[in-house]
Amino acid sequence: MRNPISHLILLMALLSASFPSFAAADIEINTPAIARLKQSMQQRHGQLEAYYTRGAVGLTRDGLIAMRDANVLPLAARQSVNALIASENEDRNALYREIARANGRPEWEQDIRSTFGQRWIDLARPGWWYQAPNGSWGRK
Amino acid sequence: MVKLLVAILPASLAIILSAYADPQIILSLEDIHSPILSAKAIQVRLAGPQMSLLELELGEVAIKEKIWRNLRFSCHTFQFSKDLISCDDGILRLPKSAGMPAAFRFSSRNKSLDVKIKTTAKEGSEGWGLTARWGGPAWEGRLTLINSQVSRIAELLPDKEREMLASAKGRVNGTARLRGDASGLAAIEANLIVDGLAFSDVSGLHAGENITGQIIAKATRQNGEQVNLWEWRSEVTWPQGEVFWQPLYFTGQGHRFIARGEVDENVIRLLEGNLILSGIGEAGLSGVMERPTNTLHDFDLSADNLELSGLFSQVVKPFLAGTSFTELKAMGHAGIQWRYRNGASELINLNLSDVFVEDERERFALRGVNASIPWRSQGVSVTDVSIQSGQLLRIPIGELRIPLEINGQNLNIPRLTFSVLDGEFTLENFSASHLAQGWSWQFSGGLSPVSMQALTKALGSRPMHGTLSGTIPRVSYTGTTLKVDGALLFKVFDGTVELRNMVVLDLMGRAPSLVADLDMRNLDLDLLTGMFSFGNMQGRIDVAVNGLELFDWKPIKFDASLVSSHGNYPRRISQAAVQNISSLGGSGAAAAIQRSFLHIFEEFGYTKIGWSCSLRNGICQMGGIESEHSPQGYVIVKGGGIPAITVIGYNRNVDWWELISRLERITQKNVKPIFQ
Repeated sequence: MRNPISHLILLMALLSASFPSFAAADIEINTPAIARLKQSMQQRHGQLEAYYTRGAVGLTRDGLIAMRDANVLPLAARQSVNALIASENEDRNALYREIARANGRPEWEQDIRSTFGQRWIDLARPGWWYQAPNGSWGRK
Repeated sequence: MVKLLVAILPASLAIILSAYADPQIILSLEDIHSPILSAKAIQVRLAGPQMSLLELELGEVAIKEKIWRNLRFSCHTFQFSKDLISCDDGILRLPKSAGMPAAFRFSSRNKSLDVKIKTTAKEGSEGWGLTARWGGPAWEGRLTLINSQVSRIAELLPDKEREMLASAKGRVNGTARLRGDASGLAAIEANLIVDGLAFSDVSGLHAGENITGQIIAKATRQNGEQVNLWEWRSEVTWPQGEVFWQPLYFTGQGHRFIARGEVDENVIRLLEGNLILSGIGEAGLSGVMERPTNTLHDFDLSADNLELSGLFSQVVKPFLAGTSFTELKAMGHAGIQWRYRNGASELINLNLSDVFVEDERERFALRGVNASIPWRSQGVSVTDVSIQSGQLLRIPIGELRIPLEINGQNLNIPRLTFSVLDGEFTLENFSASHLAQGWSWQFSGGLSPVSMQALTKALGSRPMHGTLSGTIPRVSYTGTTLKVDGALLFKVFDGTVELRNMVVLDLMGRAPSLVADLDMRNLDLDLLTGMFSFGNMQGRIDVAVNGLELFDWKPIKFDASLVSSHGNYPRRISQAAVQNISSLGGSGAAAAIQRSFLHIFEEFGYTKIGWSCSLRNGICQMGGIESEHSPQGYVIVKGGGIPAITVIGYNRNVDWWELISRLERITQKNVKPIFQ
């Protein structure tokens, strides 16, 4: 569980379990677009990891990430971390959209998003912050 | 103030004179009210020899809406005489703060008041001084700050302001002159230097650190019909420090703000402001803010000749985070005029002068952009945007002049023509609207012949000859998807190519992909093979590519079939082409041709060509002419005439990229020529 990104495949297995009616479906996650997004997120994860650990950035309940506490960052870093968060969220949104599309089920996007949201939180390391269903922040 | 107290005291004070050895006087006042000041829970205790011990407690003091609570002052050297009230070593205690040594001297004879507060802490000593003089109704005072901690100033501020500066740090030096009359404060002049200022809200999204700056301000109450109208002027200089105000980040580099205006109980009016941002330029400002809600009512901003690189990177770009334009950079000069009335934008004029815009993802670049773009909240405005040259997906585009119609949130371009390499692109009926989910746009158009040689060179792909032209019935973009309705028609290799059902997904995103169907008819093999130095083939072919998906311009999925076109035309295949096709079968097969006496023929006849490929997950499943069956493989070329040649493929599944690589090397295996 060291790197959440590398467990995307496991996540997809979990996805199957999360959709009992689709469990038998052969979920497509090997499209080049998904591979590109995974690669992009994986590269960025190296930069984001420290911010997760410091509590500056947290995992939101809707499968994205957000600035949780900017105070732990030097002022000069806050804008670039903002941009990093925006880029990560751009990729995450594209990932959920692409998985739904690659499987010919665009209507799955919201379900995929919420399932991913929960799984990212499940896979988060101890000490990372996440958003509870009621919007409050908690620490693993 | 004195008059006020004198008026109130007899009515409400209770005096307790102790009968014991240490006499003391305790004055308790529940409430004092006046139009300017009110106080609650006031207790004054005088005790000790000659009543030299003073203890004053104020439960609450309010001046207008500003409230202070739990103020305490004690003094062991309190002197009270007809002409003088003084204390040389008092202690002032504010809530949540250690006591501060304080002294005051009030002389009714000299009509003066002097107050000094001085503290010494590990951060160094700091001092506060207030001197006041009066004669008749007029009075004047001077407040001096020496190394005063901002946090200390915060403690002195009323409740609301104190909360805002609760975590602030830094020091202030300077003076403030105050002047007043019977009606109260009439003028303030301040010259303050702030050093090492730091502040932050709870989230850290609005914070500043190590800020040094100077504030020169002057405010005068106007004696007119309007009560409490003040005229003010100020100049703020910010040479050092940093501020993050989500999403903006600025460092102090000599930025300045000079302003004058008016303020009364209902509005703060900025009559004239001049903001000078180092590295960006100057902007003129004016506006009206409503009090006490602090709501912006009117605002005007006017700026010319701004440095666009600084303006874009520092001001515009942070707001583009999370959009498709996060990796843009811009250079040149810009001017802006913004008019905001009654809480809404009414007019924006944007001027661009010799601007260069580049997408760092290399999707597009525009050079020499000059424009004067007017926007009005009501009505239509028309303008021209001129662009010297540009680049779209590495394809150079020539000079263009965009006739732009702007109507609120809608943009229209009736017609636009610009050169693309040696051809010309015509765009018609372009319209764009800003909807809740983002921009949506559509257009129709056409492309007059572009040489394939120039296009392939621009795209960095294998050189090709011929021309590319087409008509575009309708292109629409909504959300993240671009869709082409109808068909794009191209004329290449003396045949036609029809591109249908084209959709580009995630067009501006990180992982754009293209889905389409291709139908090619009557392509001239002579021209086609000539392009690829494959060895001459004569004939015509039809190619259908259904369900084509491209990612990063590379195919990832399709069902393709290639067959000889119907009709009568010469069907010849050169020995070089046979050799190349046969050499795909390996060196053994090639050697067989060399050994054959037939190698003396320059070309052969054939009756039909057929080949198919279904690409899935990087594997191409191949087939040949559908009607022809071979026991071990599939027929790709069926021989005919004399001499004739038949080519049979044996391997049905091949890695696509390996196949491309083999084709490039013309060394495919498992293909054997059969000579007849």
